[in-house]
Order: sequence, then C-alpha cells, then structure tokens
Amino acid sequence: MREEDRPAIQAFTFFECAGLLQPTGERARDLSKLLSLIRTVEPGVIYHHTHQYYLKAAVEAPEYPNDFAVWAAEYLEERALAEKLAGLDLYAYRDVEEVRRALIGIIEGYLRENPMPRPVRNGDEFFFNDAVSIVMEAGPRAENLPDFIEGLETVGASSLYFHFFEARLRLRRPADDFSVWLEQGLGRGDLARRIRGLDPYRYSLEGLRGEILSLLHGAV
Amino acid sequence: MPGLSAYEKIAEPEEIRLLTRLGKRLAGRSFLHVNSTSEGGGVAEILHRLISLFRELGILARWEVLKGNPPFYDMTKRIHNALQGQGSEITPRMWEIHREVNDSNARQIPLEADLVFIHDPQPAALIHHRRDGLWVWRCHVDVSHPQPEAWRELAGHVGRYDAAIFSGAKFAQRLAVPQFVVPPSIDPLSEKNRDLGEQEVREILDGHGIGLDKPLLVQVSRFDRFKDPLGVIAAYRMVKKYHDCRLILAGGPASDDPEGEEILSRVREEARNDPDICVLLLPPFSDRTINALQRAATIVLQKSTREGFGLTVAEALWKSKPVIGGAVGGIPSQIHHGATGFLVHSVEGAAYRIRQLLHNPELGKRMGEMGREHVRRNFLITRQARDYLALWVALEHRGERVIQI
Repeated sequence: MREEDRPAIQAFTFFECAGLLQPTGERARDLSKLLSLIRTVEPGVIYHHTHQYYLKAAVEAPEYPNDFAVWAAEYLEERALAEKLAGLDLYAYRDVEEVRRALIGIIEGYLRENPMPRPVRNGDEFFFNDAVSIVMEAGPRAENLPDFIEGLETVGASSLYFHFFEARLRLRRPADDFSVWLEQGLGRGDLARRIRGLDPYRYSLEGLRGEILSLLHGAV
Repeated sequence: MPGLSAYEKIAEPEEIRLLTRLGKRLAGRSFLHVNSTSEGGGVAEILHRLISLFRELGILARWEVLKGNPPFYDMTKRIHNALQGQGSEITPRMWEIHREVNDSNARQIPLEADLVFIHDPQPAALIHHRRDGLWVWRCHVDVSHPQPEAWRELAGHVGRYDAAIFSGAKFAQRLAVPQFVVPPSIDPLSEKNRDLGEQEVREILDGHGIGLDKPLLVQVSRFDRFKDPLGVIAAYRMVKKYHDCRLILAGGPASDDPEGEEILSRVREEARNDPDICVLLLPPFSDRTINALQRAATIVLQKSTREGFGLTVAEALWKSKPVIGGAVGGIPSQIHHGATGFLVHSVEGAAYRIRQLLHNPELGKRMGEMGREHVRRNFLITRQARDYLALWVALEHRGERVIQI
C-alpha cells in the first residue's frame, strides 16, 4: 500500500456553511463611539467585522481586509488609521478577545497622536453586526489523502472559511481542521506543519485552496 | 414555473447544495407567508417563485393575502411613507382601522404553521392572533430614518415577534427581538430577467418607437422625486453637448401618488422639445418591455436620492450593464464603485460618469461582466431561499452562533 493510500484513524468530514447577518442596532458616527462600542459588543461582532471580508462573495476585494479599516478610510477619511487597522495580524491571535484588545490599542494609540476626526454624515455610520453560521456536511468524507484532495477540490469556498477561520477563532480549536486531521488522523505531521505555515489571511479562500492543493499534490 | 434544477445552471453549486440540505432538514414542516398583495410589485413576484421552490423541497409552503378596505389601504400607505421618513399624519383612529382589519382577517386566515412570515406593516398586527409556531416580521421597507411616532406604534407589534428581518443592515433598529438581514433578490428566469434575443429586443423597442442608432441611457423607475428623473434629464443634457445619445425614462404610473403625477408632468414638459428623450409610462406587468429596455441600454441609471433597496440595479447588472446609481439605500451594496458601476452624489457626478463610460465602452463592458457575476453570487433568488431556511434553523437554535446540523 502506498503511504498516501493509508486509511485514516477517523474519516475527515468537510463542512460548508451558510452565514446570516444579525444587526445589533448599534452604530457609531465617530471614532470615540466606535471605540466604546468595540469595547462592549459581543465577541461575535468583533469576529464578524474582522472576518466577513474573507467569506463575502465580492467580485472585487475591498481595499482593506476588515470593516474597521474600510470605514476609517472611506468614511472617516483617516487613511493612516485605516492602514494601521488593516495591518492587524489576525493569524497571530488565538482568541477574539485578543483581536478586540489589539483594535482598542490601535485606535487609542492613534488618538494619542492625532486629533479626534470629525463625525461622519448620516447614513455613513459604522453599523455593528453579528453573524450566525449554519454548518452542514458538504458530502464527501475523506478516508485517506487522495480522498481528502478530491474533497478539497470540490467543496465550496465556505468550507475553507469554516475549517480555517471559524474553527480557530469561534470554536477555539487549536489549529485549522485540515492540519489537525492530517497530523492526528493520518499521521502526516509534515503536511500539517506546512499548512500551519500558511497565513490564511494573506489569501482569498480560492487562493488558500490552491495553495493547500498544490502542497498536497506535491505529497502524493 | 422553473424548478430548482433550472437554477443549477446559473447559481453557485454550493448555494444549491446548502439550499437542498436545509430543505431536507425542514421537509414536511409548514411555512406560511402573509402579505397584502398577491400581484404587482417585487415582493409578490419573488414570493410566487419562493413558494414554488420551497414546495419542491418538500416544505409545506403556503401564502395568504390580507384583505383590506380603502381606509385601510390609505392608512397603510401613510405608514409606508412615515417609515421612510416622509410626513404623513396617522391618527389614532387610523391605527384602530389597522387593528380591526387585522383582527377580521385573523378570523378568516388559518394562521397555524411551524414558521409564519408576516410581510411589511399591513398584516403586522396579526401577531396578536398567534397560536403556535415561530413568527417573523419581514420588513421590505427602508426604515433607516422612520418617523418616531409611526415606528413606536409599529414596534409595539414587532416586539411580539420571534425575530425581524430587514433588507439591509442600515435599516435595522434597536429592537428587543433578534434581527436578521436578508437582502432581496431577482429571479434570473422571470419574464423581467430571462434572456432575450437581439431580434426580440429590437422588436420591443421598435414597438415603442425607440431606435437603436444612438447610445441609450435608461432609467427604469416610478416617476417620483426621490428617483430624481429631472436630475437625470439635467445630466443627459450635460452629456448631450459631447455625445449624441438618447435618454429613456420608463416607469409605472403613479396614480396613487399625487406628487408623482406632478413629477411626471414636469418630466414631460422638460422632455417636450427633445426628440431624443423618451418618456415611457408603462402599464403594470410590463416586465418583458423592462427587460428589453435594460438589455438595449448602453448605460443604466438609478440616480435616486432616497431608495429602499433599488433592485432595478441588480436587474440591470444581471444584464451585464454598467450602472450609475445614487449612493443611497441598498444601491451601494449592488454597485461596487469603479467595479460594477459608479456611485454618484450629484447631477454633475452622473454626467461625468456617463461621459466616462461613453468614452470608454471597454470599461462599461468590463463593469457589466463584473456586475453580472456580483449579482449571480449575491442577489439571486436561490440565495434568498437559502437565507430564509437558514434563519428558520437559527431560530430553532437561539443563542448559538455556530450551528451544526
């Protein structure tokens, strides 16, 4: 039996997810209100505004990868703040509360060095939203590496979103589901380490899929 | 009516998979919709199709229509305006009429279902007759800046539901019940959006005396001041000095809106001496004509100064047209500025962008292609059907953020 055909201890189940937006009814017209709401909103709200960029089926990606940075650039017109917010290194955090603290730190730091920006016009406020994910089996189950590759080639982009972003930050799993299964289910710690070496926030979901596939194809 | 398989060739396969799986989980359960009109208007049009899709999935979907009387419809028109921030007096007696009509309908309509969707303010008071199941208030109106008194009255009903749905996050209110956002959608297979051949388009335009010998600027909208048809004419005039083009303003009659009549006569007056401005007053059910006008357009305009969602934008993008729209209501979620069209804030802005697109047809073509893809991924009826079923599951798992089924 070839090494790549070796069956896994437990099959891998791919999931896909449908997201539903839940407005909180809270909105900020200026940076001070934004900061105070960032301090108090539910963790899911922070997660949503720093991650929806990746799931959103946009034909053209916005200039910055999180909603706070986009709002700072487009509506507050504080480009330097937008750049600082866009530079948030999400892969370095293991918990949404760490992301919240980092956002607060960036905004407080900016306000120490700059005057308070003017409020935005009506309708241009930052609207705080939460999101619910309904997660469903995507169909294919992988018993070995070729199965896994085939599954990864066919699942929807939301599957990558779930197994990489939601698994780590919302379900507080130690790492992305793919690398955990490759290591624990298949005994392929080498592949797991290489996948964990990819910063998923640097890619679109399709880009991430392509990177992982080329890495796995190289192993069979 | 086309079945789910017809959409498989159009929508994302993942979307169809998710919809089918949600359908399997909810098959055999009952889903009741109540609104106040069975035909005319985008809500009824999409509801027809949604009911059919849900039934195909095995869900016992049903649709009931509230029956009112003239004082009731006058009153609900006032509510509609007040929720959109326009001045309309609503007296306590009017609210009594609203309640009475709802109470009498509750005696006629079987309201038992596992999930009940009540659409818009007209049937909102049916909630007081709830017997069982989950009840959701589905709001299709822009309530971002409602008149406080009208909203307070309505919120008295809405607060009794299990959840409320709005078309955009900006429309959400501070409410005691959970809120969700489900944007509206278009049906790519309906008469208004299905593919039309070039010959068919030509014949339809011929029938209205519109030649295709010049670039066509098209705005399809009610003749109402918030759609700014006079601003569109002003922008066209600025462009006309440099580009020989034709402007089509097409819209439904505004017989229930006295101000609409006045706007229409001003538009006609403005257009009177220019043979290249065509004002088309379309009767109800002119979907095929609207389809042909949008397909014949070089550029589609939706220069609104206030807007609910503005689905005509998605309709035009679906036909691969670049769209220039006012940056209001739901339009910015459909037009990604510079990618699927341009967002404008003034007559001058509209004129500038029209000239830019007429100068550079390749840019318009690229934007149109991106626009169609944007609509395919985000604004098709299959996405809306999926959202409604996902919401059903979410309501049965209240408090959970990641729900595995």
